[in-house]
Amino acid sequence: MNRVDGRQKVTGAAKYAAEYELPNLAYGVLVGSTITKGRLTSIDTKTAERAPGVLAVITHLNAPKAPGTKPTGKDPSQPQTVGNALQVFMDDKIRFNDQPIAVVVANTLERARFAARLVKAQYAKEKHQTNLEANKANAFLPTQAKKNPKSPAADYQRGQVDAYKTGALKLESEYVIPTEVHHPMELQAITAHWEAPDRLTLYDKTQGTMATRRDFARQWGLPEENVKVIATYVGGAFGNALHSWPHESAAIIAAKVVNRPVRLMLTREQMFTMVGYRPHTWQKIGMSATPDGKITAITHESIGQTSTYEEFVEATLGQTKMMYQSPNLTTRYRLAALDVGSPIWMRGPGEATGAFALESAMDEMAFLLNIDPMEFRLRNYTDQDPEKNRPWSSKFLKECYQAGAQRVGWNKRQLKPGALRDGEWFIGYGMGVGTFGAHRGSSKASAQLLPNGTVLLQSAVTDIGPGTGTAMTQIAADTLGLAPEKIRFEWGNSDFAQAPTQGGSAIVNTVGPAVQEACMALKDKLRELAATSNSAFTSAKKEDVAFADNYLTLSGNSTARATYADLVRQAGGTAVTVESKPSGEGQKYSMYSFSVHFAEVRVHELTGEVRVSKLVSCADAGTIINEKTAGNQMKGGAVGGIGMALMEHAIIDDRFGRYVTKDLADYHVPVQADSPAIEVFFVNQPDPYVNKLGTKGIGEIATIGVAPAIANAVFNATGKRVRELPITPDKLV
Amino acid sequence: MATNHEPDVPANHNENRRTFLKQSSLLTALALVPGPVVSAAEAKLDERVAEAIEQIPLSLKVNGKKLKLKVEPRTTLLDLLRENLNLTGTKKGCDYGQCGACTVHVDGQRVNSCLSFAVMHEGQEITTIEGLADGDKLHPMQEAFVKHDGFQCGYCTPGQIMSAVACVREGHAGSEGEIREYMSGNICRCGAYTNIVAAIQDVKSGGQKV
Amino acid sequence: MNQFQYVRATKPQAAIEAVAKDANARFIAGGTNLVDLMKRGVMTPQKLVDINRLDFRKIERQNNGLRIGALALNSTVADDKQVRERQPLLALALNAGASPQLRNMATVGGNMLQRTRCAYFYDVTMPCNKRQPGTGCGALEGINRMHAIFGFSDKCIAVHPSDMSVALVALDATVQVSGPKGNRSIPFADFHRLPGDTPEKDTNLEPGELITAVDVPDGPFTKHVHYQKVRERASYAFALLSVAAALDIENGTIKAARLAMGGVAHKPWRLTAAEQVLVGKPATEETFRQAATVAMQGAKSFKHNEYKLRLGPNAIVQALKTAAAA
Repeated sequence: MNRVDGRQKVTGAAKYAAEYELPNLAYGVLVGSTITKGRLTSIDTKTAERAPGVLAVITHLNAPKAPGTKPTGKDPSQPQTVGNALQVFMDDKIRFNDQPIAVVVANTLERARFAARLVKAQYAKEKHQTNLEANKANAFLPTQAKKNPKSPAADYQRGQVDAYKTGALKLESEYVIPTEVHHPMELQAITAHWEAPDRLTLYDKTQGTMATRRDFARQWGLPEENVKVIATYVGGAFGNALHSWPHESAAIIAAKVVNRPVRLMLTREQMFTMVGYRPHTWQKIGMSATPDGKITAITHESIGQTSTYEEFVEATLGQTKMMYQSPNLTTRYRLAALDVGSPIWMRGPGEATGAFALESAMDEMAFLLNIDPMEFRLRNYTDQDPEKNRPWSSKFLKECYQAGAQRVGWNKRQLKPGALRDGEWFIGYGMGVGTFGAHRGSSKASAQLLPNGTVLLQSAVTDIGPGTGTAMTQIAADTLGLAPEKIRFEWGNSDFAQAPTQGGSAIVNTVGPAVQEACMALKDKLRELAATSNSAFTSAKKEDVAFADNYLTLSGNSTARATYADLVRQAGGTAVTVESKPSGEGQKYSMYSFSVHFAEVRVHELTGEVRVSKLVSCADAGTIINEKTAGNQMKGGAVGGIGMALMEHAIIDDRFGRYVTKDLADYHVPVQADSPAIEVFFVNQPDPYVNKLGTKGIGEIATIGVAPAIANAVFNATGKRVRELPITPDKLV
Repeated sequence: MATNHEPDVPANHNENRRTFLKQSSLLTALALVPGPVVSAAEAKLDERVAEAIEQIPLSLKVNGKKLKLKVEPRTTLLDLLRENLNLTGTKKGCDYGQCGACTVHVDGQRVNSCLSFAVMHEGQEITTIEGLADGDKLHPMQEAFVKHDGFQCGYCTPGQIMSAVACVREGHAGSEGEIREYMSGNICRCGAYTNIVAAIQDVKSGGQKV
Repeated sequence: MNQFQYVRATKPQAAIEAVAKDANARFIAGGTNLVDLMKRGVMTPQKLVDINRLDFRKIERQNNGLRIGALALNSTVADDKQVRERQPLLALALNAGASPQLRNMATVGGNMLQRTRCAYFYDVTMPCNKRQPGTGCGALEGINRMHAIFGFSDKCIAVHPSDMSVALVALDATVQVSGPKGNRSIPFADFHRLPGDTPEKDTNLEPGELITAVDVPDGPFTKHVHYQKVRERASYAFALLSVAAALDIENGTIKAARLAMGGVAHKPWRLTAAEQVLVGKPATEETFRQAATVAMQGAKSFKHNEYKLRLGPNAIVQALKTAAAA
């Protein structure tokens, strides 16, 4: 089935956050600090205020304070928290370079942009820290782990501590991933509109309409129903719209001050500094094994950067704890607080970071043992979760190994690196495994039959690109036995039935069952309605009720009809809203999606350029609702992995604390020519326990494991082991 | 093509425009009245003067429609389309010619609309994604993108499609490799690249007029 | 962006006068670099003279060569039949640059006048002698992995980003300019400057001088040519470094050779000494390696671009090998 919003997207009719036409619209442009740490001592806004078309220049000196504003960073009254997000224009402190210090509002975009350059600030500078390497010694255990030893961020131990050190065959390697930036094609944008002094509407780039509504309702001391968040179309996000950011607050404040709707879109430079990123992370793996290829111990340590005001924690070490059968296992997760903006989960988040280290180390150990890396993984395969000592809810990873190996031509791979070439190009093969929790939360969905025989479903969930709207339409059509054209699924509005934030590969797992149950409830309701008005339906079983063009029919009774118009009129509406919650099975089973990626790469012997010539991504993601959109999502994750492996690298000049990669010419993401033919294989076996649909989630496992597959293939091609991403030509010549 | 032959005079020919800011702020010095009053008066004057001297006339054909506009010289073609004409199908992805989301056709050639000033296109014909379909009937490339799922979030899509149409018309869609190279000016962060190639190949081999 | 005065020129002389008499005036053609720089406040002209209506778009035969109008679009030149037949190296270099959309906008003259992509030049809050003389060179002690290994000074270590210019310097092109004092020709190798003490000057153009055409003389380099561009992704990226190679080979012996590099200096870097090594020698990898060694003499690296000392000779060998096999 094609995407339900395809026509909107190919005609330009789809409206994104900065594209809503509102009367009397004004434009906001942010001014950023030019120092990295210190205080604002003065800020001259006079010239900017006098520039043509300028409506307001708002700084910490004149910004209205929203009643629910909390101080940025650690809250002295709640010392155990991870810290509050940056509250823009609330104090004179500078916490990172390009931190917003003013917003200029004008009646045209050009005028706002020009006037923003006229704002001049003076600072009292303090010495800043932006270098992870130099701050590793100050790394600390996250507060949540100190508070709760069961936290995933806490130190984990099974068997003996650091047992690899006494192993006969061992390796010890350090791995580094640089800061990587989400860079969705749509720049972060918001249009803020105070429709009344206590009613706020936001057209916002967010992955969670409910979360954004909650954040800003709290900040402004408003009942949640007074805040409406619309995010029908979101131009990609990959995690960076999982947090409320300074520019959103700035636009809301600006709209309040000028009493007009304000549109604010970040520049590409600002996308580096204030809307999150995958944190620069150092990792070390120690591993020991028996000569016949059984892992005896793994120690995996990680230090990731965070900001000084929020502790950003991710599951970098999660995969290591459960992927391979190692009797001794130690993990240590630490943070280093730097004078930078806060990170935020980026596709495949910490798991992708951790998998780069773990899956590279697996390849290194296989090489040391002179064993095929797939064989090595099979010898350490886990048939139940060694971390929680529970059975898997489902696991078809071996099937993925087989399918992928066959498709990529793994039999051509040589154990000895550098053995295959095509002219000037070395050829190599590598693999990398990924896993991510098959998470499911609670969600509502509403469904109603309209008099014209179509069914309208609504959910506050967003569709940032995976095709949520399409998958939900299919689930509804299947459940109701209706053609998909008869279903209209509306999403991306906080006024609709409550749904969680799009992220963590959990949406089909979570909202899917809600849609399914809402449809079943609707069918029940229609049968009941028909039963009261139409004797043929009185004792009908609900599975016998079926939808025709304008009326309900009953199998086994060709004359029974209950017209939709009558049912809707009779009941004064047919809307049902249900809430769907996970069952308790999550306590009995370990629930994960699994993937394995196989890469064939070509490395030029003289220039060190790497081209991925083939990628095969295989997934055990439970039931696949829509092969077309799910396959596309897998391929997209693979392309993201190519970026991570070969080119993505945000660099700060530590002398200034400023990025020297500040646009898409300096920070490379893959282009069309970097993309090989990508083959996708789904096991497509339902998981019996996550939900009734059998789904497990795709978004993250599509990326997790791709970068190490490529790095391992580069090693196989050249004998060069690159442990610091990205693998650019300078590291291979 | 452009037909105008204007004399070599500034299109916005008020030589004082540059010092305009300074002059208007002199008002403050004259005033002994309270600050806010002066600011308000000054702001109004600023607006009138600014409008008069900052905007210049521009004739364009956009999606077949002749338009007579007044624009600031610093307004880019992209911002003109999005902010002034409400043609928001053309996207801003970087504003520096590094992503291709803003691709439109100018006199039939694909260009990045973010990197030229609207006034440079006097008399030219602009086609945006909104002008590609024939009424309700989608252009074959639009159909092919839907069929092959050549997108995810949809934000780069208008630029991809405008570029893809040009790629076929230019004769640069001869092979998968050629398509990949000649579509490399359009970044898709969702990574729908292989599906985009499939869509273009479908249109190319379908032989329909693009 | 600041407001500016916009002038649409229809006669070259009026355009030249308008820019010559106003230090804050600039010509604008494709705009692909200037508009970008204006958005970021790196360049803040007060007047723009739009030269797109001037009649400098033609590509024609003239005096045993091709005269390429300064306003000819990069895509037009790359696809031009005469260019492809007589100067295939130029077509290769053009198609290695930017993207199809940008090549449809960028002109030949504008391509030559591209400013450096040095991050310190691009960020108005950072030190840069090129953008603001006297503020220092941010790259010298900073992040300099993209920077020069030849011809730099302690004032500036930026590189010139054009691909086309690397081919043109190899092909002994001549730049035709028209200025307040009349017309003159500048050999391509003398068009761009080394930074010295005045990195703010990229070229030897005088104020108000307008590029009208580039002449590329006919030569024997119609077959054995290659433009080797090494970059961090497969397309649409500036070069880490690049090599333009052109050979005239008869019976396995090199009769004439041209070699130039991009991404290594403040100007497209012609490698004349290496060319001399090639002439008269067999077209073998050994010869190419010898030439590469000579080419790299005098190269010096900084903290982050030491790899260019290894990549440079390799890329030269690769370019020559590919050219010889073409």
